Amino acid sequence: MKKQIALTVNGVKRELLVNPQDLLLNVLREQLGLTGAKYGCGIGECGSCTVLLDGEPILSCMTLAVAVNGSEVTTIEGLLGSDGSLHPIQESFLEHGAVQCGFCTPGMILMAKNLLDKNPHPSEEEIREHIRGNLCRCTGYTQIVQAIKEVSLTRKA
Amino acid sequence: MTKTHYHAIGKKTVRKDGLAKVTGQEIYTSDLFLPRMLHGRVLRSPYPHARVKKIDTRSAEALGAVCITFKEVPDITYAERIVTIPQKTFKDRHVLTDHPRHVGEAVAAVAAETAELAEKALGLIRVEYERLPALFDAVEAMKPESIALYETIFFGQEELRVSNNVAATREIIEGDIEKGFLESEIIVEEEFRTGRVYHAQMETKSVVCQPEADGGITVWTTTQTIHNVRQLLGEIFKIPLNKVNVKKISVGGAFGSSIQMNSVVPIGVALALKARRPVKIVLTREEDMVDHCKYPSYIRLKLGAKKDGKLMAGHMRVIVDIGAHNTQAYPLLGCMAGWWVSLYRLPHLKFEGKAVYTNKVPACAMQGFGNPQVTFAVESLMEILAEILGMDSIDLRLKNYVGLGETFWGQGPTVRSIIQSCGVEEMLLKGAELSGWKERKKTLEGTIRRGLGMARGFHTSGAGAPMPGEVIDYSGSIVKINEDGSVDFMTALMDLGGGTLDALAKIVAEELKVPLEKVGISSVDTRTTVYDVCTHATRGIYCGGGALHKVTAQAKSKLLEFASRILQAPPHALKIEIDEEAGQGMIYVEGVPGKRISVGEVAKTAQINNWGTIAAVDSLRQVNCPPTFNAQFIEVEVNTETGVIRPVRAVLCSDAGQVINPDLAEGQLYGGLYRGLGYALLEDTDYDKETGELKNRGLFTDFKMLTAEEIPRLEDIQTYFTHTREPTGPFGAKGIGEAALNPTAAAVVNAIYDAIGIRFTKIPVTPEMVLKALNEKRNQG
Ligand code: FES
Ligand code: FES
Repeated sequence: MKKQIALTVNGVKRELLVNPQDLLLNVLREQLGLTGAKYGCGIGECGSCTVLLDGEPILSCMTLAVAVNGSEVTTIEGLLGSDGSLHPIQESFLEHGAVQCGFCTPGMILMAKNLLDKNPHPSEEEIREHIRGNLCRCTGYTQIVQAIKEVSLTRKA
Repeated sequence: MTKTHYHAIGKKTVRKDGLAKVTGQEIYTSDLFLPRMLHGRVLRSPYPHARVKKIDTRSAEALGAVCITFKEVPDITYAERIVTIPQKTFKDRHVLTDHPRHVGEAVAAVAAETAELAEKALGLIRVEYERLPALFDAVEAMKPESIALYETIFFGQEELRVSNNVAATREIIEGDIEKGFLESEIIVEEEFRTGRVYHAQMETKSVVCQPEADGGITVWTTTQTIHNVRQLLGEIFKIPLNKVNVKKISVGGAFGSSIQMNSVVPIGVALALKARRPVKIVLTREEDMVDHCKYPSYIRLKLGAKKDGKLMAGHMRVIVDIGAHNTQAYPLLGCMAGWWVSLYRLPHLKFEGKAVYTNKVPACAMQGFGNPQVTFAVESLMEILAEILGMDSIDLRLKNYVGLGETFWGQGPTVRSIIQSCGVEEMLLKGAELSGWKERKKTLEGTIRRGLGMARGFHTSGAGAPMPGEVIDYSGSIVKINEDGSVDFMTALMDLGGGTLDALAKIVAEELKVPLEKVGISSVDTRTTVYDVCTHATRGIYCGGGALHKVTAQAKSKLLEFASRILQAPPHALKIEIDEEAGQGMIYVEGVPGKRISVGEVAKTAQINNWGTIAAVDSLRQVNCPPTFNAQFIEVEVNTETGVIRPVRAVLCSDAGQVINPDLAEGQLYGGLYRGLGYALLEDTDYDKETGELKNRGLFTDFKMLTAEEIPRLEDIQTYFTHTREPTGPFGAKGIGEAALNPTAAAVVNAIYDAIGIRFTKIPVTPEMVLKALNEKRNQG
């Protein structure tokens, strides 16, 4: 039996019909065409499927869509400014070579956003701790950490 | 370095696919949704070695699923990796099999309207297996009494008997090792073992196949070579190549795992052809982990030297447990020999290699193709030798390294060329200075002990050589100048994340003197590109970029020819320069005012006058494969109570010739370091000998990798690029990628030795191993 749920996705209200067992990751990707969140493991081990739920990072591969009825979801597609401008974190990732294959990038950027929203000037240790659950096989994390750190440095205290 | 005035080469720029990647718009295979698309799933053997006695798909079909078994796929034995010439290629693969030889081998597949339905259908297929004895150890497998995993396979067109489960052997002799060891004053010998690492590329292998109305197919898949996938699919399914179109699509990391056509690709195609509807299969992580892994190795290495450190002779014996399929271990063994003999001059040498079948996940290339394994052994033994000789190991290396003007085996014994650029000495000296090598002091006390280790290495830039050899290596491109002075280029070369295509765009921009923003990387497929063998072997920039450079120069001469008609001056009197303000390349006659026209105006004039499009297409085989050298200095902290090793500092030196993308080149060094540290300290896949299953059960939780927390801090990683130029490379460039990992494990193990005085010859070096060794050392007093 399908259920109707309401989600605000990247600022837009959506009414959706979902199966009780449908995962948020699949609803976002297949029903809404928001393919920025990726499948990397399906069981909460890699962070590629990270999205923000009411501002907090969650693993959408482990989250039932019905369980988040009424919430606000931000995916990587929702990070652009209203004028289409990049979020400073996105810019910083580009500037610091923090993107290689790009598969981990959406999840990584959303994790970074969550960190900087809560703690505008994190230490390097705090950055590393915060993204430790997001796997990146390409970069070795160095330029990702650099990119996040740089955003925090250029922000006014 | 000669002074250069490049506007694009060597400049830090934002990668062209970057915007799409940071905004979630980049499309990977798993992101494709086609109208009427079905979801496919693969039924895999739960046993490491079995025969399928019966298989019944009726209940699954009753659900509405489309099913295929080994009976319904083309009965053809194929080789998934075809970068070797056909007559030297081993074939043992089937699309689906009734004789699975490892847990996870595909025996059937289904496609259904939804992923859930496909999953359900998969569970309804009844298979009766006869279990067969399984082999999990290469030495065991070679015993005559062991069960034969294959009776015969194919070598080229010929059927070949497999004896003692040996898939390939290679013996290479130069000089006379007996004489060499007799003349040696010091002989060192050691056994080394390296782990069976999983690639762990973040995107699991995937395929989407769309059957076309004309009987053809269109395929999107995770691959490093669209043309080889096309050719294999044409061969397996007997479809003419013009009707097999493989589209280039972004890949979420590869590290060598998609040089071969992935086994899921023909399965997806067979399903789509039967269903007459598009089918998509995305491997689960658990499936991906039983699909591929890095070659593990056992290496016994013996070196002989004079008292002054001059190497006299070497003997290397290698056994590689390749698992259930031969993903071309013959070239692997040749390459391992080549990596070895190209590190240090050995007047007398012998290499003996064996690749052995077992009932494990099939191994394939992973960053280095045997090079990290060999370099681990060689660079560990060089350190041992230096200590015995009482020499600084850097001096020993400087005395013996293969350098400028010497012969280098870029891809095994048949791919030889002469080294024309070499930054080894610069790196060893500079790296020593930056890392404090000379000042390092031994303090073998306290709980936390620090040690500094170094190792050097290299990788080939492609597989080009003056003679054709056993490896196919050439690239091709199309370049087209548009009517506004912008440029499109088309290449089948892939960007696996390293920025290869950005480098290629810069080569075009530089040659034509047009702004980089005006160079577009076309989205292409096998129909719209000329052949490119594969994006592997660190060949992207040197070989792919070399070919593109050649084609761009051809387009440029056409451009100048048209410009000469307009400017009324001979083409060779024309010069070209970039005009940043106009955002155009400008063609002019030096010293003659007024004789100046933009690239765009030339192209437009050519169009209006019906002279034609300024375009070129061609291929190039490089006749060299220059080594991209590197050296790494790594400092570790060993906790003698917990056995935990922490890498705390690294100096990464690279000789990549002219660097084209500075920040992305650094990224290659950081990434190589990261995977190399994992290789040295953590990553391996163990098997349950009873069930034949991976002990990690296909989970990342149990296939441990280093996280962002466990690598050196920003201020503790330094990179250094040498001031070299490769005379045969596009704008002086060579490759970089694979080299970045090759010396890491040896540098780490050398650092551990420096810290606690214990030498490990098996990697990964786990905390348990450290504690055990420390205990043994204490007990010995
Ligand atoms: S896909 Fe959700 S954590 Fe890996
Ligand atoms: S950039 Fe490839 S996984 Fe992070």
